[in-house]
Amino acid sequence: MLRTVEPSDPARVGEPIVAVDGLVVNYGSITAVHGVDIRVFAGETVAIVGPNGAGKTSLLSAIAGIVRPAAGAIRIGGEPLAGVALPDVVRRGIAIAPEGRNIFAGLTVIENLRLGATTRRDRAIAADIEKVFADFPILGERKNQPAGLLSGGEQQMLAISRAMLSRPRLLMLDEPSLGLAPAIVERVYQLLKSIRSEGVALLVVEQNAARAFGLADRVYVMSRGLFTLAGAPAEIERHRDFDAAYFGVAMSATGGSP
Amino acid sequence: MAATSSAAARIEAVAPTVPGAWSRLAPLVILIAAVLIVVGAAERAPMIVQRRITEGLIDLIAVVGLYVFVGNSGVLSFGNVAFMAIGAYVSALLTMPAAAKSVFLPDLPLFLAQAQWPEMGGALAGGAMAALTAAIVGFPLMRLSGISASIATFAVLVVSYVALGNWTAVTGGQNSLMGVPIYVGLWTAAAWAIVAVIIAFAFQESRSGLLLRASREDEVAAAACGVHIVRRRLSAFVISGFLSGVAGVLLAHFLGTVRVETFYLDLTFLIIAMLVIGGMRSLTGAVTGAIVVTLLAELLRQAEVGVTIGATRIAAPAGLGDAVFALLMLLIVLFRPRGIAGDREIGWPPRLRRGQIGNPR
Amino acid sequence: MIEQLVQTLVDIFSVGGLYALTTLGIGLIFGVMRLINFAHSQLIMAAGYAVLLLFAQSAALAVASALIAAVLLALIIERAAFRPLRGADPATLLIASFAASFFIEKLMILLVGSRPKGLDFLPFLSRQAEVAGVRVQLLQMVTIAVSAVLLVATTWFLKATRLGLEMRAAAENFRMAEVLGVRANRVIATAFAISGVLAAAVACLFVAQTGLVQPRMGLQLVIIAFVGTVIGGLGSLPGSALGGFLVGAMTIVLQALLPPDLRPFREAFLFVAVAAVLLFRPQGLVPARGFRERI
Repeated sequence: MLRTVEPSDPARVGEPIVAVDGLVVNYGSITAVHGVDIRVFAGETVAIVGPNGAGKTSLLSAIAGIVRPAAGAIRIGGEPLAGVALPDVVRRGIAIAPEGRNIFAGLTVIENLRLGATTRRDRAIAADIEKVFADFPILGERKNQPAGLLSGGEQQMLAISRAMLSRPRLLMLDEPSLGLAPAIVERVYQLLKSIRSEGVALLVVEQNAARAFGLADRVYVMSRGLFTLAGAPAEIERHRDFDAAYFGVAMSATGGSP
Repeated sequence: MAATSSAAARIEAVAPTVPGAWSRLAPLVILIAAVLIVVGAAERAPMIVQRRITEGLIDLIAVVGLYVFVGNSGVLSFGNVAFMAIGAYVSALLTMPAAAKSVFLPDLPLFLAQAQWPEMGGALAGGAMAALTAAIVGFPLMRLSGISASIATFAVLVVSYVALGNWTAVTGGQNSLMGVPIYVGLWTAAAWAIVAVIIAFAFQESRSGLLLRASREDEVAAAACGVHIVRRRLSAFVISGFLSGVAGVLLAHFLGTVRVETFYLDLTFLIIAMLVIGGMRSLTGAVTGAIVVTLLAELLRQAEVGVTIGATRIAAPAGLGDAVFALLMLLIVLFRPRGIAGDREIGWPPRLRRGQIGNPR
Repeated sequence: MIEQLVQTLVDIFSVGGLYALTTLGIGLIFGVMRLINFAHSQLIMAAGYAVLLLFAQSAALAVASALIAAVLLALIIERAAFRPLRGADPATLLIASFAASFFIEKLMILLVGSRPKGLDFLPFLSRQAEVAGVRVQLLQMVTIAVSAVLLVATTWFLKATRLGLEMRAAAENFRMAEVLGVRANRVIATAFAISGVLAAAVACLFVAQTGLVQPRMGLQLVIIAFVGTVIGGLGSLPGSALGGFLVGAMTIVLQALLPPDLRPFREAFLFVAVAAVLLFRPQGLVPARGFRERI
């Protein structure tokens, strides 16, 4: 099992937005996450790559408060997450765009966006929504239509924009490129880059390793509920055991395969 | 194909994995023994207690009937009392002496007016008509999803109440039908109760029952395995209808009268409460619920009758029994929704066995 | 001939309106919680008894107390019986709802007895008014008006307010709504409160019409309303209202069309017609988007 590689950049010292230690997530008798440590600091982009069933979604769900961990500690901005009700997680500055987009198909586009801002009481909500329409004219055109009529890519834009409307410190995304055509994926990742440039931290779970590497400051490779590799994207890509790490072949302590 | 293999695994796990016919039959034997013990004890009791126990046994048959459908399919039915009503009226009409019929039901169709069937014939006819009604009504019903199906069964109850209550020529409408031959005593009820338990057990052990239980857990996976859910549910519903019909027959021939008002919401609540309190998912639960609730009802009734100390009578206000009973059911649902038996069947030694029949954990 | 037609139309809309209010109350709660609230019948009962208590003082006071009684009871039931079961499977919720309904009814019988009590509530409404040259009962016009107003008001609330939006989102995908920060307790309590308001309105109109209060007074309405909810489409709010209206309308139409000796069987025919609808369209007339029982 790999200890977390803490970023050595001194600028990144300080309270991480999310700090996870020894996380274990079970579904009934199946253990999805076997004991994982991870940190996400302000402003940085972290990617978790790995194959299907690696436990990536479970990890994200635990941080988002959607599932309760069997063991381990999660701290959001220094405060423990334990005992916080699901609706209050977003009030701590964590927003998530879960796998499969999960937009409200029966509600209109603008209603979906308003829901993203439902925890806010300030007056800037309408302006933020207008900005979304400015960035994505297609959403603006369809603002009063049921969101279920949007294409897959448009729904993904909507889901991400909706999550951003709560003005989070950290945006988590589960498989943002899943099921989308390459051209659409490009658009999605452009959006993520612009979000990053606004200073929002990103935690992205991806099967599409190439995309994730292009975006992230740090990458974790997850397989079968454990992190098998961690580091900067360039290092990981060059690592001769990347494929093995991705697919979960056992590794020796020096990083080579047995 | 993860879904199908897990459903297949579940079907296998649901099938008894413990070898030996004895282990497999243990629940049946124990439950039958329980019934016999209850009846044996009641024999020595005063007449009034015997009557209560007999009524309790009839309720047991009704609960077992309800269980055959609800326990196996996972769909709650509010309509079984309608089948009881049908069984009661059919058997009453076929077995009542012609003289009584001409007094109470002058407009009865000739065939029925002249019918004078033997008791067993009437009982079987009652059960059969109830089963037939279940088949007809169930045909559209079983296509509905769980909750919609439950509400639809509620509609069945109401329709039967309205229809039977207004079909004055045949049923006497709102009036009581009197002069129904009384032949149901302690041992008749017990015999039928044992028959009901055997039928229910046979069904849940059969291939049909096992497949239905698999679909109870995961409809999609079961369907992927080729289980015809609608067909399976319907067969459970029909058997359930038959047993409920028989319960209705016995009630009619125990009380000597048939009243449509008997077969409505209060009885529905009683039967469902018995099943819920005992445990919806096992035959043990159904039988336990009937026994426990009957005893409890007896206690509450005593409380309402009161205790006479000297010249004063200390009694609970009328209606307290009902309220307490309803509260009990609510508490069970809140704090022990699986009921007394949990999901499990009783085994030998008499301890609830895990996963022998039912959801493996 | 015109009189007959107008009278029938008035009947259809007043009975239909009453049922629509009832089904909407039931449908709202089903939408957010997947719970069929059998105890809705008891909400109507509670409101009815509140009216009984105060109608002699003043009609306005009676109506206000009916509203308070129904809303309060609804919130108590939610807190005591359904909140502990949040997230349970629909079958358990159904049983709990049934048990709660029975308990409250039996408790009421214990407290006030089961005999119906007569009262003369809003007697001036039994007068007649002239509509399109036809004399029609004032109460029926009021029923239509109240139903329309409440339906519009509820729709406005759901569409135009933040809380209403949260409720609609929760009805479609409860978990995702929570992820976005929607507070479940508030949304559900609101749904129950609104259903209480609707139940109180129905109770007042019903009491004015029948002149009776008894522990089972809401039962007939609610049983038929359940079926209306299923026809309209479980989980769909417009479907609920539509289903209720149609069912109410059907009772009037059947009454008019059936020969006299078959009229008592009106409900039986109604349910058979309902079964036919369900056979061909099991998801209901206005299927709810995002409503799935499994997967």
